[in-house]
Amino acid sequence: MSLNTIAFYLHRITGVVLSLYLCMHFTFLTSLKTGDYERLVKASKEFFVLHLLLFLACIYHGVNGIRLVIHEFGYMYKYRKILLYLTFVITFVIWVLFCWKVIK
Amino acid sequence: MEVIFRIKRFDGGSSYWDEFKVPINMTVLEALFYIKENIDSTLAFRAFCRMGICGSCAIRINKKPMLACETQISKLEKETIELEPLKNFNVIKDLVTDFEGFFKKQKLAKPYLIRKSKGEIQQTPKQLEEYYKYTLCIKCGACVSACPVAKRCLGPAPVVAAHRFNRDSRDEGKEERLKALSDHIWHCHFVSDCSEVCPKNLHPAEVVQKVRLEVLKFNLGW
Repeated sequence: MSLNTIAFYLHRITGVVLSLYLCMHFTFLTSLKTGDYERLVKASKEFFVLHLLLFLACIYHGVNGIRLVIHEFGYMYKYRKILLYLTFVITFVIWVLFCWKVIK
Repeated sequence: MEVIFRIKRFDGGSSYWDEFKVPINMTVLEALFYIKENIDSTLAFRAFCRMGICGSCAIRINKKPMLACETQISKLEKETIELEPLKNFNVIKDLVTDFEGFFKKQKLAKPYLIRKSKGEIQQTPKQLEEYYKYTLCIKCGACVSACPVAKRCLGPAPVVAAHRFNRDSRDEGKEERLKALSDHIWHCHFVSDCSEVCPKNLHPAEVVQKVRLEVLKFNLGW
């Protein structure tokens, strides 16, 4: 499988993950009405690692989306491979910075 | 020196892998002929010109769609080489695939000159240059095989064909063609593997984006 295809499938998978999370997030917000804050905050802490991974999916989907929009408007086609590598690098750098900030 | 060819075969009912030892100092196509003439005469594959012009011998070599006639075994630098029929095509037998759907999709893009006016058509060398590159498409199906969404949409090859005629100064059917494409061109996700595998370096991924913009402008009346 080429890196292009991997990028394509990752974009799809992260898109589905973000959609599912959005549904879960809305459910979570609705449950705030019950006022059971302590349980919810505790649950949120338990899923800390998953939240970090979710943010990774979010950054990748966003950065790769920008890359696709650039190409779809007919720009930077010649640099498509560099942009593809840059997508992964930028995603990783932002994610590491985010993790460092949160854990710190 | 020899290498092992692992060939994905299909007998009409089930598919299975078969292995053959072939000499290294030849092209993949020559090795297929070697197998057919010396080892197993039932092996089916398609070939014609043997020089990268007809596009008949496109198959997947180590998962990548390539022309068998233009691929030297030694350059693959592998001891075992996997040969499979093109993806996104129905297999007829062994490495032979059915191109009927492919050419049906080609027809949808109206890949021919559409003339409304009559009379002599003149074209300067500069005007010829505008589209000449795209006339080199050999309809081998490699781009369609590499595309992960080709089964659900038109695929890259018909768009390249449409683009070739859209750029032709003699053609008067660009609007007609864009209209025909407008329902089929939005599925491309710019995976751009079609550009990586095109044996004629036509960069179908770039062409698809260009045509999409043209379709968009046409639909918006710009």
